Amino acid sequence: MDTVDLARLQFALTAGAHFLFVALTLGLVTLVAVIQTRATISRSPVHVGMTRFWGQLYIINYAMGIVTGLVMEFQLGMAWSGLAEFAGNVFGSALALETMVAFFIESTFLGLWIFGWDKLNRWAHLALIWIVALTAYASAFWILVANGFLQNPVGYRSDGHTLHITDFGAMVANPAAMVALGHVLGGAMMVGGFFMAGVSAYHLLRRTPEQDFFRKSLRIGAGVALPATMVTAAFGGVGFATLQPGKIAAWTGDADRAAAVQAEMTALHGPGDYLPPVEWVQAGALTMLILFGIMFFLSGLNFVLMLIRPVVHGFRAWHVVLIAAIPLPFGAMIGGWVFREVGRQPWAVYGLLTTEDAMSPVGDGVMRFSLIAFTAVFAALTVINSWLLARTARRGPAAVGLGARPAEKPEPVPAF
Amino acid sequence: MEIFILAFFALGYLVLAGADIGVGMALPYLGRTPGERREAIAAIAPFFLGNEVWLVVTAGVLAGLFPELEGELLSGNYPLIVALLLSWVVRDTGLWLRGRLDGRLWQGWWDGAIVAGSWGLALSLGGLLGHVLLGMTGPLALLPVAALAALFGTHGLAFAALRLRGELRRRAGVLSGGAGEGRTYALTAAALMVVGVLAGLRLPLEPGTSGAVLGPAVLAMMPLMVAAQAWVWWTFRHRVTGPSYL
Repeated sequence: MDTVDLARLQFALTAGAHFLFVALTLGLVTLVAVIQTRATISRSPVHVGMTRFWGQLYIINYAMGIVTGLVMEFQLGMAWSGLAEFAGNVFGSALALETMVAFFIESTFLGLWIFGWDKLNRWAHLALIWIVALTAYASAFWILVANGFLQNPVGYRSDGHTLHITDFGAMVANPAAMVALGHVLGGAMMVGGFFMAGVSAYHLLRRTPEQDFFRKSLRIGAGVALPATMVTAAFGGVGFATLQPGKIAAWTGDADRAAAVQAEMTALHGPGDYLPPVEWVQAGALTMLILFGIMFFLSGLNFVLMLIRPVVHGFRAWHVVLIAAIPLPFGAMIGGWVFREVGRQPWAVYGLLTTEDAMSPVGDGVMRFSLIAFTAVFAALTVINSWLLARTARRGPAAVGLGARPAEKPEPVPAF
Repeated sequence: MEIFILAFFALGYLVLAGADIGVGMALPYLGRTPGERREAIAAIAPFFLGNEVWLVVTAGVLAGLFPELEGELLSGNYPLIVALLLSWVVRDTGLWLRGRLDGRLWQGWWDGAIVAGSWGLALSLGGLLGHVLLGMTGPLALLPVAALAALFGTHGLAFAALRLRGELRRRAGVLSGGAGEGRTYALTAAALMVVGVLAGLRLPLEPGTSGAVLGPAVLAMMPLMVAAQAWVWWTFRHRVTGPSYL
């Protein structure tokens, strides 16, 4: 592999890991906010317990999203300084706004939500989780504005060396960004819904004492998954209309189309290979579509079955199916992401800057070292975190640390 | 305007998150038992998440307002940034995971991760600031690195002295002598800001062209961001009274 492939692999592994954890974060935080709203209004102990249990799983998962997110943000400048220098004046603004409007506020208020449990007024505490949820959406919004610009650059002018903003509104309203936002948020709700339904099914199968707790949770998960599936499909369908010609040619495997794209690009940019790798694009799209088909069928079935109380408690084969379905939306997310990002190649900024030219002048040895180091650390963390997530999910609501009252609580003294 | 925005977030990071780094470095000294270490971590627990994002925003400001400098600074110091990020990830993972299980081995391992990650953060930030400030290479470049790591450590102890109680507070106050806890913290904070400003003056601070669009939006956001943080500081203004969620 040459250096640019190493840099791409490094970015792909970081972004891919980030995307998976963040999808669950986005889905779960919405559900936790809804459940906490119910708990705050009704003060019912079962909803308070649900807020703590699902909130705990959300936080364990959030930690992975944040550490992979940090590395991803810095990697743009580290390994892709050519992109920063060429397009930073335009798409860098979306990244900057993401860090302020979203990341900064989200982290600050999440800290307050975790550590302020029982310290804050309960309505203020509820407001915090809603702000955290909305800023998580804002984060997805600005990141997809940045990504949308790379997919379909709009609202800029070029001086030959670098790009400059001419129409900020056009960049934000970019269909390549807004359609993807609806698609990804729908997908995140599918991840969250299938996760909640699957974990609840595990406890119903094991006949955990908290039957009421997990029946309610299963219904929330399955109830959200069906509309989320439809939203995802609708935006995904519209998205097919905004694909780059090279991506369509690779997906359809149409040799005439591919030749036309190659000829047109060669006329514009000189000789070169302007087609994305067909196998990757097709494998990504097929993984997404097949898994999606299964989930579409399942979420309809789940929606009907969850309405019948004896079935929710006693249909053990269905519980097993729900548990087995937890990984499906993750697989579809990754497949769709590979389709979207590999299908844009060989461009970093479509039609303007190739991935090769986007790379920093960094040596092969250094790149190899950082790739190995990040991969090793993230692989270990992914294993540990997934294990901890599964363990916390299995042990159920009794063992949750989040929002637990400390044993002794002496009078606090002001520090500053 | 662009330079003011960059300085605001970079200096904010050094002062606020610098204390978290220092407490992590001094963890084996502050807490001699797992229980004591957990209490020492409670000094920074509610803050570290809101503090580390100041560096995230600094990187965002570089990406949006100084794209050329961002590329130069991050790709030009590639190994140092890798070390910084790996340390950051290890430190954060230690903080997040430590309290999730009870086993001694588990907590000891993640305590080690917090300490190693905090030292790694201090050393790589020291290396980065030292390189920008003095442009030194070779073994002599280790001197400013060591000096800055010592500054982070002292700053952390000063913060811990303000937040902890009893024996832990006494240990944290070891370097202040009779100077007073608040005054020591102010002094180490000022020293970190001076280093940050001097390093900033050495950078080629040539803004890009998005300032006219992005700058006013950022300036409008800043009071909101500070207010959000002030809510955290106000809620956790008291001394630590026991272990936290971490």
